Amino acid sequence: MVPLSWYLAVAAVLFVLGLFGVLSRRNAVAILMGVELMLNAVNINLLAFWRYTQPENVAGLVFAVIVLTVAAAEAAVGLALFIALYRLRESVNVDEIQLLKG
Amino acid sequence: MILKVVFLLVSLFTVGSALMVVTHKNLFSSALFLVASFFGVAALYVLLEAEFLAVAQVLIYVGAIATLIIFAIMLTRGMMSGRTSPRNDQAAWAGLASVVLGLVLLYVVVFRVQWPVVEKPVPPDTIEQLGRALVGRYVVPFEVASVLLLAALVGAVLIAREKEV
Amino acid sequence: MTLNDVVLTPILPEAILLLTAILILLIDTFLGDKRWLTWIGLAGVVLAGVSAYRLALSEPVSFQGMAVSDHYTAFFRMVILTATALGLLVALNWLDAHGEQQGEYNALLLLAAIGMMLMAAATHLLTVFVALELLSLSLYILAGFERERATSAEAALKYLLLGAFSSAIFLYGMALMYAATGALDFAGIQQGATMSPLFLVAVGLLIVGFGFKVAAVPFHMWTPDVYQGAPTPITAFMSVGAKAAGFAAFVRLFVGVLGVEKVTWVPVLAALAVLTMTVGNLAALRQVSLKRMLAYSSIAHAGYVLVGLSAANSTGVAAVLFYLFAYAFMNIGAFAVVIALERQGEGDVTLSQVRGLAHTHPLLAGAMAIFMFSLTGIPPFAGFFGKLYLFQAAVQANLTWLALVGVLNSALSAYYYLNVTVQMYMAKEETPPRLHWRPVLGLVAAIGVLFVIAIGIFPQVWLGLAKLGMLALLG
Repeated sequence: MVPLSWYLAVAAVLFVLGLFGVLSRRNAVAILMGVELMLNAVNINLLAFWRYTQPENVAGLVFAVIVLTVAAAEAAVGLALFIALYRLRESVNVDEIQLLKG
Repeated sequence: MILKVVFLLVSLFTVGSALMVVTHKNLFSSALFLVASFFGVAALYVLLEAEFLAVAQVLIYVGAIATLIIFAIMLTRGMMSGRTSPRNDQAAWAGLASVVLGLVLLYVVVFRVQWPVVEKPVPPDTIEQLGRALVGRYVVPFEVASVLLLAALVGAVLIAREKEV
Repeated sequence: MTLNDVVLTPILPEAILLLTAILILLIDTFLGDKRWLTWIGLAGVVLAGVSAYRLALSEPVSFQGMAVSDHYTAFFRMVILTATALGLLVALNWLDAHGEQQGEYNALLLLAAIGMMLMAAATHLLTVFVALELLSLSLYILAGFERERATSAEAALKYLLLGAFSSAIFLYGMALMYAATGALDFAGIQQGATMSPLFLVAVGLLIVGFGFKVAAVPFHMWTPDVYQGAPTPITAFMSVGAKAAGFAAFVRLFVGVLGVEKVTWVPVLAALAVLTMTVGNLAALRQVSLKRMLAYSSIAHAGYVLVGLSAANSTGVAAVLFYLFAYAFMNIGAFAVVIALERQGEGDVTLSQVRGLAHTHPLLAGAMAIFMFSLTGIPPFAGFFGKLYLFQAAVQANLTWLALVGVLNSALSAYYYLNVTVQMYMAKEETPPRLHWRPVLGLVAAIGVLFVIAIGIFPQVWLGLAKLGMLALLG
């Protein structure tokens, strides 16, 4: 079997890549893509722990299913907001979101 | 052994695509690499013997979320041609912070923990158990998730609809 | 176990709110006078309150280890239902004047309230997560409710992106906590909580996640823009409700469950408290927009609450509960006055716009002055006792320096809070401030004043309730 730590290492790398995307991108959709990568990393972690430590307990699987659902709902609302903003601004400035500036 | 090679190939593919997602200049290409990365993650789920989640991953992430993202990119003209730099001015700090956090995470999960691995097979009725758990023990989160979908539905329609005058 | 065996009692108040929300969405289509929807929502809140009260009288009941209805939950149900009722009321005429969708507003507000109450009740990381997402998602939509105003949509988008980002960090922390302790339910986590590098990383990520949700510095950057850009009734509601819900889960998980390992997280939270108070107050000093000033002030108040959380003792938990309750009245009250001063399409209410308010509208100015005094922490108002208990807890926990920083910060904040009062009373202005005076806003301000004074005069009564909540957590 592949060691558990390999999966966790892949998840960690995927997570920080997503983190980098969120922090470094200017465009709202690109930031959302970074968030999706981070959520995927979380699910790899959950499933790996489920498989390797307690495969008879479905808690990890349930958590992953819920994360999937929430991610879809969040993406739907996010893109609706994005389109609403685009309509108001007519392409001006939509792609100039600086998240970490107060 | 073969499993390890497959794992390494799939992981390389996933991480490589993810790297392209966050660094590629063209937003549309980023979105396509995101789809590739989602497929890679689904393959990892198959290796973890979570086939149901792998199918759900393809259906929801590739089928719904990635499609939504591509829709949004194509509906908003002018985003694909990079007028401005795709990065903000904190990109260097972001890179540094990500690398540091990444090293900490890798160090801790790979080297500092003795994982209590049990070599048990996955029970054959896992999907049935999952279904029972969702409407049994985990019925509260399950129902709240459905309420959340209701809120998202109402909200998305409300926000994206043109305002009638 | 099947669905038929499930007894709904522990989450009856939440179920009532859900039914009310669905009812509002359904009859929205038929109803001519949309203002009725607000009253239906209020009726639902009152019913939920009655059932929460009845639940509080009985023994604690757990919903299959996912959520629990104990006195701690009951206290937060009281805080959140209060904020919800006031949030529905302040929006009544505002929605009318702006021609916005009343059904969706009221329904989404109730859905957010369900998420908030479940945050307080949650005893499983999965429940914490979905409840948090339900309240956040509803608030993202409500923040972007004024569809023709770009700053509203911008605020909502920014809120959503940072919210989703912080949720992802939070989730990673949960996954690592699962790995470190082998459990997702609070009882199991408590048993499995032992010091290890993995445990430390998990705790760190969870603190970052909660830090974003309660707007602690340095995770506060979204707050000013979102609070300023969102419709003012929503700002009022979320500055109170979302903060209370965030702290409810924060306190239950950290003090209640991870309390045994508190050496690992108390220094971090104390540092966050200092940063949050100081940065919030310093930034609030420089604001001319009342709404933005109150946004920074709400950051500073999160800092005061963090002082109580850092104390991590029984006094601290009771003080946090007491403070969040008192804060609900003073903050929503202050926002009600701001809404009364707002006019559509004219941007934010600035400090110069309240000049001379006392001469034209003495009652409204008097209410605002009381809210400002209470937010500063001047006796005999509610805010004074809130801060007193929080700082007392810090002293008891041998964090006297932290209490001192808190006192200094309160003195600093007096400058900008009292400046509002000075502008209202001292300054003469030729053109008196124009008012969007609505009886309902007056009612909200009056309720706020009543409770700010009542809590200030009889603090022991409310502290007694907060202590009951604390006992449910710490035994």
